Amino acid sequence: MKRRIRIAVPSKGRLKQPSVQLLQNAGLSILEEERTYVCATSDPRFEIVFARVFDVPAYVQYGAVDLGITGHDLVLEREAEVHELLDLGFGKCQLVVAVPEGSDINSIDAIPASSRVVTEYPNLAKKYFERLGKQVEVLEVAGTTELAPQLGLAKVIVDLTSSGETMRKNNLKIVGTVLDSTCRLTCNKISYRTFEREINELVHSLRQVGS
Amino acid sequence: MFKFQDFDGKMLALRTEMTTPIARIVSAKMASCPEPIRLSYVTNVFRHGQSYVGSGREFCQAGAELIGCDSSETDGEILSLIVSCLRKLGLSDVRVDMGHADLLKDLLNATGLGEEGQVTLRGLLADRDNEKLKKFLDGINVQPDLSEIFLQLSRCRKLGELSSLPFNSSEYGRPENHVSNLLKTRDALIDYGVEGSVFFDFSLTRKIEYYTGMVFEASVPNTGLPLGGGGRYNDLIERFGCLKLPATGFALQIDNCLEALEAQGLQFAEKTRSTVLVTSSFRKVAIEAARPLREAGFSTSIDLQKADEKKTIDYAELSGMDYVVFVGASVVEPIRVYDVNSDTFRNTTLAAFSQQNGGRFR
Repeated sequence: MKRRIRIAVPSKGRLKQPSVQLLQNAGLSILEEERTYVCATSDPRFEIVFARVFDVPAYVQYGAVDLGITGHDLVLEREAEVHELLDLGFGKCQLVVAVPEGSDINSIDAIPASSRVVTEYPNLAKKYFERLGKQVEVLEVAGTTELAPQLGLAKVIVDLTSSGETMRKNNLKIVGTVLDSTCRLTCNKISYRTFEREINELVHSLRQVGS
Repeated sequence: MFKFQDFDGKMLALRTEMTTPIARIVSAKMASCPEPIRLSYVTNVFRHGQSYVGSGREFCQAGAELIGCDSSETDGEILSLIVSCLRKLGLSDVRVDMGHADLLKDLLNATGLGEEGQVTLRGLLADRDNEKLKKFLDGINVQPDLSEIFLQLSRCRKLGELSSLPFNSSEYGRPENHVSNLLKTRDALIDYGVEGSVFFDFSLTRKIEYYTGMVFEASVPNTGLPLGGGGRYNDLIERFGCLKLPATGFALQIDNCLEALEAQGLQFAEKTRSTVLVTSSFRKVAIEAARPLREAGFSTSIDLQKADEKKTIDYAELSGMDYVVFVGASVVEPIRVYDVNSDTFRNTTLAAFSQQNGGRFR
């Protein structure tokens, strides 16, 4: 019955390197990353697949993988029913509402009703504005949200920022925060039941090297 | 929920699950039925999938409800029924994880947290991050013994371990009562012989709107979604009228069960009956020949194209049929049978063919 426990790790972007490093510090080095879809690790109980960070919450919820490293923001955006076993500490970022520097909008309240909001996070954006009682039109894009104001697509965006650098570079100012996020170790609920001992051991080592 | 308007302006909705309609029917039409009432169903329900995954909207569910009893024995019966249903399907390593809706609600209320704080605490329980949970409990200044109760419940996996919870103060009378009911349910499970398959899971905190007692979820390893679940709902039926009846039940998600069977290596037979195409130049003869074949259990079609032999065979092959039966001027004469799967002809009689190849199932 027992098989290898499968962990999804971000395949690229700012979360990949710290994820790989943290797993390595916890005693899980990735063997032969090149050319393989599923990578063996130095601990024979675990194997790793690289996946798009946006897809990880669904992979975990549906049990395609047992564990997955992904952002708290994405778990909420995907409404994934998963355990968030551990806050990995890195990948700190904020989901913010931003407008062009020169805009006369200086707060959330000043955003006109039925404004168009461009975002990669339609679910969270909709909920955020609904909670504020503000009617907006949310338009989903698959990337480079920060370009939308320059292209005249929208005057308001909801996007992720970690240092504020990209925002400044694109002449955007932040007028509100939707949520704070960090990277999490997520777990399929049924996998947790099946592999509780092994998973708790991994969480324990990650906790030790993380702190 | 899918909602739309009827022609007279009334709102209509497609059912999202079966328990609520059953509660309504029991309240409206079954008031004179002797209790307990045992009901079961296999039906389709309709739901919006989640925003990102899965596009299916119609799901098949099979379920059972036991209405009119509030005993631990009743809970035991329902739990043992879900285990035996799944085993009967051919699944191995079936497990059920159960929590308790009112136990959770009462303990959350005992913390003195407002609604927002309770949502956060439920989220932490669902995340299974015990350190974060401990930090949160320390931060909100709950009684140390209440904090310990939360942490122990979060770690607890076997129902038997519930007996060692530190209910030292009489403040926790209701929670203590719920726990003692869970322990009684465990005793019933021992008698049913399924106690080893039932575990405790305090993190089962979602979707507990109408549940008042035990809540549970069934699963097997290597299938990432639960196969079904249910619980006790003692207040639901009275919402539809004056009848107040305790009840408990479960529903199985048939799609997930099929996925689990496949994951455990079960092969599904594509069909269970042989299919036959009957062809004859004489319509009456074809009709007469089809009758005994249908009675013998063949899924039988009569050829309508009256094409040449090759085209008829091509049609049968492309339609996935098993045999073509060529009948001459009378059903008592010998017939020719083409076997699509082996690409061979043979001469036989209708009676012999039905006997050899009929039977109900292949």
